[in-house]
Amino acid sequence: MPKKYHIHPKAAPLGFDYVCKFKIVRGENCINCGKCTKVCIYEAHKRRKDDPRKMADPNTVVCRNCFRCIQECPRGALEKSLEKDFVNIGGAYWKPDMLLSLYKQAEDGKVPVSGAGYRGPFSGTGFDSMWTDMSEIVRPTRDGIHGREYINTSVDLGRRLNHLTFGADGRLQSIIPATVDIPIPILFEMPDVELSPNVVEALLKAAAEIRTFIVIPAAQITAEIEEYSGSIIPRLAAPEIDAYKAVIKKARLVSIDCSDAVLEDLPGLMEKIGKLSNALVIIRVPAAKNVEDVVARLAQNGAEIIHIAADYRGRGLNNGPAGAEGRLLKEIIRSVHLRLVEERIRDEVTIIASGGIAMAEYVVKAMLCGADLTAVDLPLLIAVGARLYEEPRKLLLLPDGLGRMQAPLLAQRIVNLMGAWHSQILEMMGAMGIREARRLRGESGRAIFFEEIDRDTFGNIFKKQEAAKR
Amino acid sequence: MKPSTVQIVKTPSRFKHQVPKYKVTRSDACINCGTCARTCVYGVHERVEGHNRVRPPIDYKCIGFECRKRDFCCIDKCPRQALSLSLNPMYETLGDYRWTADMITGTWIMAETGYPPQRADLEYNTGNSGGGFDKLRFRFPAQLKRVDKSVISTAIPLNRRNDGRADIVIALPVYGGGMSFGSVSLPTMISKAHNATVWNTFSCTGEGGYPEMLIPYDDHMITQVATGLFGVREETIQRVRIVEFKYAQGAKPGLGGHLLGEKVTESVARMREAVKGTSLFSPFPFHSVYSIEDHKKHIDWVKEMNPDALVSVKVSTPSDVDMVAVGSYYAGAHIIHIDGGYGGTGAAPDIAKKNIAMPVEYAITKVHKFLKEEGVREHMTLMASGGIRTAHDMAKAICLGADGVIIGTAELVALECVRCGNCESGRGCARGIASTDSELSDLFGEGWATQRLTNMYHAWYVQLVDILQRFGMRSVRELVGRTDLLEHIDYSN
Repeated sequence: MPKKYHIHPKAAPLGFDYVCKFKIVRGENCINCGKCTKVCIYEAHKRRKDDPRKMADPNTVVCRNCFRCIQECPRGALEKSLEKDFVNIGGAYWKPDMLLSLYKQAEDGKVPVSGAGYRGPFSGTGFDSMWTDMSEIVRPTRDGIHGREYINTSVDLGRRLNHLTFGADGRLQSIIPATVDIPIPILFEMPDVELSPNVVEALLKAAAEIRTFIVIPAAQITAEIEEYSGSIIPRLAAPEIDAYKAVIKKARLVSIDCSDAVLEDLPGLMEKIGKLSNALVIIRVPAAKNVEDVVARLAQNGAEIIHIAADYRGRGLNNGPAGAEGRLLKEIIRSVHLRLVEERIRDEVTIIASGGIAMAEYVVKAMLCGADLTAVDLPLLIAVGARLYEEPRKLLLLPDGLGRMQAPLLAQRIVNLMGAWHSQILEMMGAMGIREARRLRGESGRAIFFEEIDRDTFGNIFKKQEAAKR
Repeated sequence: MKPSTVQIVKTPSRFKHQVPKYKVTRSDACINCGTCARTCVYGVHERVEGHNRVRPPIDYKCIGFECRKRDFCCIDKCPRQALSLSLNPMYETLGDYRWTADMITGTWIMAETGYPPQRADLEYNTGNSGGGFDKLRFRFPAQLKRVDKSVISTAIPLNRRNDGRADIVIALPVYGGGMSFGSVSLPTMISKAHNATVWNTFSCTGEGGYPEMLIPYDDHMITQVATGLFGVREETIQRVRIVEFKYAQGAKPGLGGHLLGEKVTESVARMREAVKGTSLFSPFPFHSVYSIEDHKKHIDWVKEMNPDALVSVKVSTPSDVDMVAVGSYYAGAHIIHIDGGYGGTGAAPDIAKKNIAMPVEYAITKVHKFLKEEGVREHMTLMASGGIRTAHDMAKAICLGADGVIIGTAELVALECVRCGNCESGRGCARGIASTDSELSDLFGEGWATQRLTNMYHAWYVQLVDILQRFGMRSVRELVGRTDLLEHIDYSN
């Protein structure tokens, strides 16, 4: 049995508050009786330090929405509403509550837990329109999540053989291609914003600690981050290979942007890199309309690893009419996966999916749809306090003073977030009765798709009834 | 017919204020004439004798914009037009997609009055989740059928196997879900049991054992045998009329339970036969059950120990839940209890509640159909839980194929839960419902709580009878599986 993989979370408060959800205003008819200080168990209400005869402004950071102060104030002097900051942050995809949850996970590394049942919509778009299955009596894991049975989350990157060939003498003739395995099905990607050196270091440090890799544009790989080269995947365009020879030499994985030239002569490109180093090659393909064709062609031409990149809201690039939204990453992965299955080559390549991987469950769901692993970027910055806005256009606000914070603290927050995600991935896998993350890939039989089940149950019943009436 | 033990007593909120839907604003133009205080019949405005000024409006008593149609509306009566009405921003902080603020408010009114709210401005029957029950509507006939309400039966039998065991009939097709000793406060637990007795139905101990103060309610308790086997003893099995095997629960399907060490107090430890202060794991799954045959062995064991008891099997909703249900029939169970993912009262990982296993609406349909095809539907009682919030959800679940439902959250909301979701953090429930903190668990008495529950069950009863009458039915048994009485917003015309 492999050594257990464990991410070590450690409380890592940033020292400032993220977005508050609630706002409590004390009205002028407050009589400073102090009832609120007695009923609030979270200590949102206190008397003023300088003048204990008066009440201080409510501390809404700690408010947990229990309504006791509101309901028990003898004068009805307290009013609560949603904080504007909370309403405005995020958007339709990166929901405000999701951002708060990511921030909190980075703070303590714990699995988010709450009582009183689920409170969200019945289903949503993309990955939110899927449920993962579980095992009741037959084939469950034996207590995977409490660690009594090992659930393995590691995945391999690289080309795999379809079959092995043996010679007449019984000896293996096939040459087994090299693979790189990582203990968690998540790669980091350097977010596409200007970051101060301490944040860059934190990202690298966190990647190294959890033993994954981080994709960084080759141009940003400087001497200062040399010590992390074992965790770096340089990203470059094919014509830049000669310019970054030194970087490629050190890398175990290299990410090359797909282009017409790459498509024309993939073996030539692989050979060129092969002469420089043993690095495995990732071909990064934007999730455009023809992504299935591109991926299939790359796979047939010997690609080892293909990275499908959607936009930050998990949508494919739209080549259609302006204003129309691109396809959902969920659909794109399913379609690419099935195409490769049809072409009988799926087992030979590794597929990375990225774009809009916002929560731990999206990692598992992307894999069930057919990816081997995922890559994330924005959650890593939300972990260190960045605020994301979708409207009127994408905006990422880094907290003031981030540039002066200690890299180890920021790294710990990213580690915490990934620790929480890892635990959540284990919970989902444990419930599904799957003990190997490699087995998640394309296991759509262990997923329940909203469109399918709704049509098969309600669609069947109610359409039939309508037909019968006619 | 409702049981004669049911008495409706008006039982107001234990708090001074409720959460207001509207905001009544008094501007500086007010001359404190007191007209508003005289005209408003709801008590929004108060002018205390001897005071110069009218008190600030008590928003939560206002019935909102529909009042504008009445000739006593304060806004129109005010000689200085000093009053205005708007939606209260506070209302947005109450509730969520599944349990909307209107639904919580409506449930509170039911628990207070014993009847469904008479307000047209509250959509308290359906939530805003955009799927499942919230997209189903009843297809009531245009003409009211002539059925006398007093002859309509809401009772259902729980033993349909004809196996010589107890013939248990409950007065309403609903009973209370399991909440264990230690997870809720004593008044909560006892009031649930007491109300079950009043309504001649059941409540459930949950996994944490069978506390002695529930002994007076033995005939209306279900005791749970869960994967940790905590507090399970021969005498507790023999004490009750229904024993429930809990394989999984909807809110955390496929995950075990974990009672933190600090929650294992002296009394909890004694109940669970464990050591104070040690964390207790309820594993997933039953380590002695890996097949339907193993499952039968369990059921036989209980049947042997208590020759009269019915056996219920509680499972969550994976895609093969239909096979599990049929397997449970052949294993000898009387009740198959399917628990969907969107319910649950205790703390559970958010990722599990949202993502694992299917919503109960699909599972009911699936299991009902599968049991029917197997030819055993008539011999099994199918109970559904996990997202049954209102009487309408209950009736819809029955139309989809359930015999009855099990509720948890709705009971807690009747006790004034606001669904803040902090049941397990720090000292536990700030409102004293799900807390064992010495100070917090003392916020209300068992009498108040029992009456609130009895009132809410009564409101559900009134609503169910109303639905049955409109369909021209004499018994809720006629409603089972009648999907033709429903329409779905996405599929029906």
